[in-house]
Amino acid sequence: MIGNDIVDLIQAAQDSNWKRPRFLDKVFIVEEQQLIGNAKNQHQLVWLLWSMKEAAYKVHVQQFGKRFFNPKRLVCELASETSGIVKIDEEIYFTTSTITNDYIYTVATLEASKVFKSECFEVENSNYHFESKGLKMKFLEIVSKLKKTSIEELQIRKNAVGVPRLFQNNLAIDNGFSFTHHGRFSAWSML
Amino acid sequence: MIKKEELIAKLKTIVQPYIQDEDAFNNLSEETDFINDLKINSANLVDIILDVEDEFDIRIENDDMEKMISVKAAMDIVNEKLAAK
Repeated sequence: MIGNDIVDLIQAAQDSNWKRPRFLDKVFIVEEQQLIGNAKNQHQLVWLLWSMKEAAYKVHVQQFGKRFFNPKRLVCELASETSGIVKIDEEIYFTTSTITNDYIYTVATLEASKVFKSECFEVENSNYHFESKGLKMKFLEIVSKLKKTSIEELQIRKNAVGVPRLFQNNLAIDNGFSFTHHGRFSAWSML
Repeated sequence: MIKKEELIAKLKTIVQPYIQDEDAFNNLSEETDFINDLKINSANLVDIILDVEDEFDIRIENDDMEKMISVKAAMDIVNEKLAAK
């Protein structure tokens, strides 16, 4: 299983004011807030920790099939600037992040140093419907090449908790993947 | 107790700035899911919770927030908090 999350840093600055009273208290535990307080680039660290939590949460939902909204139940620990773990209750997720001036992208897996494929790209139309379709098509093209199959045989459908699943001729293909989109960017990741 | 219609109308006003799916917003009902239906960015769900707290002058603890993924759940929590005031 794999989960990913991208944060467009410019979009995030426009859409969310994390300096708003009580915002950080709702999202981060004391230790995480201390890391943010001590960071040179606080905006970057807020969204790095956020993307770690989101990516790990996506794996957790695939595992347990239950959605919830409680960012503080997901606890981040950084091992380096771009790698770390997220704990959700007794579960541990390993994260690898890419930080650029434009975006922060995190992939979470169940095992440390798990090999995965992944691609981030800039979208032409950030409207929800267009980017969602564009990302799916791009991903299906990759899968069709890897599996040497025609793209018409492949479909993506969401399950009851909103997790996308891959189907070939209406049969579920069990390989982990995850999609993410924010602002100017979309990304897919696959085990 | 606040009327159901009034509560839905207030929640609708609160969520409007954050929605990404106009059709789902126009058809908003108790069953509407903030993320799956309205396509609200999860970071903005934090803003919605803070806006709800401000609007109704209540505080929503993390355990209550955990369920707040639909209009129905938000209504239940607001009613619960208002009743406890």
